[in-house]
Amino acid sequence: MDGDLARLEVRGLTKLFYGVPAIDSVDFDLRGGEIHGLLGENGAGKSTLCSVLSGLYRPDSGTVSFDGNEVQFRSPQDASNHGIGMVYQHFRLVDSFTVAQNIVLGLHKSQRPRSMRQVESMVADLADEFGLHVDPTASIWQLSVGEQQRVEILKQLFRGARILILDEPTAVLAAQETDRLFEAVSTMVDKGHGVVLVSHKMAETMEYTDRITVLRRGKNAGSVATADSSPAEVARMMFGDSSAAERTRFDTAHDIGEPVLSLSGVSVTGDHGLVAVDNASLVVRRGEVVGVAGVAGNGQRELQEAIAGLRPLVSGSIEIDGVDCTSSGPKKTMRAGLAYVPEDRLGVGLAPGLPLEHNIALKSYDRAPHSRRGVLSNGEIEETMDRLVKDFDVRGNRRGMRVSLMSGGNLQKAILARELNEDHHVLLAAAPTRGLDMAAAEAVRSHIVDERADGRGVLVFSEDLDEIVHMSDVILVMFKGQIVGRFARDELDLDQIGLLMTGSGLATADTNGAA
Amino acid sequence: MRSRLRVTPRGFSGPAVRFGVPAAALIVALMFGAIILTIAGNDPFEAYRTMFDASLNGWNAIARTLALATPLILTGLAAAVAFQMRVYNIGGEGQLYLGAIAASWVGLALPSTTPMVLTLAAMIVAGAIAGALWALLAAIPKAYFNADEIITTLMLNFVALSLMNWLIFGSRSFWRDPRRPVPGGKRLTENAIMPSISGRMHIGIIIAVVAAILLWWVLRKTSWGFQVRTIGDSPRAARYAGMSVRVKTMAVLALSGALAAIAGVTEVSGITKGLEPIALTTNIGFTGIIVAVVARSNPLGVVPVSVFLAAIATSGSRLQSIGINVQVVLLLQGLIFLTVTAGEFFVTNRVSLSGSVKAATADGPSEIAEATA
Repeated sequence: MDGDLARLEVRGLTKLFYGVPAIDSVDFDLRGGEIHGLLGENGAGKSTLCSVLSGLYRPDSGTVSFDGNEVQFRSPQDASNHGIGMVYQHFRLVDSFTVAQNIVLGLHKSQRPRSMRQVESMVADLADEFGLHVDPTASIWQLSVGEQQRVEILKQLFRGARILILDEPTAVLAAQETDRLFEAVSTMVDKGHGVVLVSHKMAETMEYTDRITVLRRGKNAGSVATADSSPAEVARMMFGDSSAAERTRFDTAHDIGEPVLSLSGVSVTGDHGLVAVDNASLVVRRGEVVGVAGVAGNGQRELQEAIAGLRPLVSGSIEIDGVDCTSSGPKKTMRAGLAYVPEDRLGVGLAPGLPLEHNIALKSYDRAPHSRRGVLSNGEIEETMDRLVKDFDVRGNRRGMRVSLMSGGNLQKAILARELNEDHHVLLAAAPTRGLDMAAAEAVRSHIVDERADGRGVLVFSEDLDEIVHMSDVILVMFKGQIVGRFARDELDLDQIGLLMTGSGLATADTNGAA
Repeated sequence: MRSRLRVTPRGFSGPAVRFGVPAAALIVALMFGAIILTIAGNDPFEAYRTMFDASLNGWNAIARTLALATPLILTGLAAAVAFQMRVYNIGGEGQLYLGAIAASWVGLALPSTTPMVLTLAAMIVAGAIAGALWALLAAIPKAYFNADEIITTLMLNFVALSLMNWLIFGSRSFWRDPRRPVPGGKRLTENAIMPSISGRMHIGIIIAVVAAILLWWVLRKTSWGFQVRTIGDSPRAARYAGMSVRVKTMAVLALSGALAAIAGVTEVSGITKGLEPIALTTNIGFTGIIVAVVARSNPLGVVPVSVFLAAIATSGSRLQSIGINVQVVLLLQGLIFLTVTAGEFFVTNRVSLSGSVKAATADGPSEIAEATA
């Protein structure tokens, strides 16, 4: 196949989930011999597009052509047989098998040599050819993350992939391994392979790609040649232009009071023991909404968990309304006056298999009026539920029905209702409107912003920059676990925020730190 | 045009579904059973009539059945309370032995002049504590090191069995009656024996039913039960709400162990009247797991399910007397278990036939797995 350049053409591709387009009439081209960056915020449709290209999803409309022939993949295996391979961020390898065994796993007898010895030598040759060095006889569990990724790539090359989709390949890699990865990728490109690089990171995208396509809210926001573009232009494509910020913002007339939430020098580790939040300091005062902008996975979740008492601090301290809540456990932060709307509604914020009345009492089950001396008062709980359902316009509940069957917007309103019904001084809300329709999102936003009128503080995390701008008095930007920018409402610079979110423009950032 | 089965979650199920489905499952099981009986050369109608006569027809039959149901209710509750929190206590069998050992020790050690109420109360408390501690041997590693309780509780059954066998067959222990030629336990004095209500049925049945009602109340109506149900549904949500999953894991396993052990107390005090390893090893602990599964971990459901399984078991010997192999009885029991648990799927999901593949994928349910993949 050498020298024969692959061509992938996507026209008008649409994929609906429950009638909502995840990608909407997307055009996309990939030529052999190029690295094509695919950028966009979370939920912009990158994964959906890749999943269609790799045969996991079938599109609702639109066409995919490969080398000029229209193709319809029935399965990832089918796509793989056509020469399109995907390397997922989370590897799909069997730990106890060897590299060679993993590489031929799932191949039909006719597609692989009979002896494992032969497979091993073929893998070794392939590894040499592309500079993806790994011992074919080693077991997966013995390998580093970088090596495992090479196995995934080799697996696709072994199957004859001419187009390779790499889903955030550098997210798991150390700097040195990243360099090695891109050396291998450029070898592939030199041999005529086409590579799609899905990424959040501006710097590597600008450095390594030949072209960039940006998805924004399911649509193609533009394709540019990397050499002719700039980080600022791409960031604008990703996050929208400055004019969007001019839309009506919430009223600013309110008094700013005492600090209700103070973080100083907070560092925590993530689930895998790596630093997730690095020396973060911030202050939220009464009557103030502080918004934290950032692409998901830059330590926001870990920071939220640290504030809520769910994740112990490595260093630093947290105070809620004057009470020291450093690594204190969730009970104490609740008592100190923290209301917390977590990012993961059904996984964390609610017990999905239990009915709404149970979830309404989730945090107040052990206190009057919901219980007395350890005995629940189901009548009182139902009264609270009825009142909150009415006040917050929560719909779609039936008595005894498990909440997981309610829609996202109603779930979010229910969580918000519960949290705001508790005595609290500060509201911590994460991705509060993700996946909500316009009306529900607006209702949630206005409930959140109303908080400051009552003299409470709000800390809100969102990937939707417009939303942050819309609601916040102060905007912070998080990148790689650090707070890399702070903007007061009247000194907003959207281009600058967009750059900071993707890790560029750090040098010129206005990093005053917390006020 | 291929038709496709469509599965939609019901969300909540009315009483018609909750009671109708198990009843239908029972009928299906009896129908399959009839086929098997016919193949085995028996008359299924005669067999079912005999079963009914032996287990439920008349006071004597009912007393026999309830005597057998008594420990099943308790081990069923033991399994159910753990299942409520998605903790799997497979150690009811061993916890039952520990309860029997501790209770018989108290019963033998207390002077025979001690009032019966005090003696029985002391035996129950001692048995419950022994069972709880035995369960904690698995609960503590589970809570602190996330050791799989299925393995640890299962393995502890064999330790408990060996311990009980050693006390009677392998040593000259306090429990063993030295005067008997065949090794056996010392007989309990009258004040340590649960009074009979009718035949083999003794006051243990009252204890078991009261325990079921109490457990239901604790799980449904107290803040402690609220936490258990929350953790059972979502440990992450429970942690978020400030509940201690670790403490509850240990507490629930201890409670589970205590309940299974009380089954050992009622057996040793009401039936065997001494520590008799052979008579006590009838898989009551393991059957309790089946009871809890069929009762969907509902304490109030445990009572009728136990009675039902006990009825099938009591009719076993009578069936043999009319020439039906005892294995067929076990097979029937297995069939009912299988159909009722399979029926659970229909209680929580609505199954319908959709016209075409297109319709099934366009608006959702079959695509849930895909969308979340």
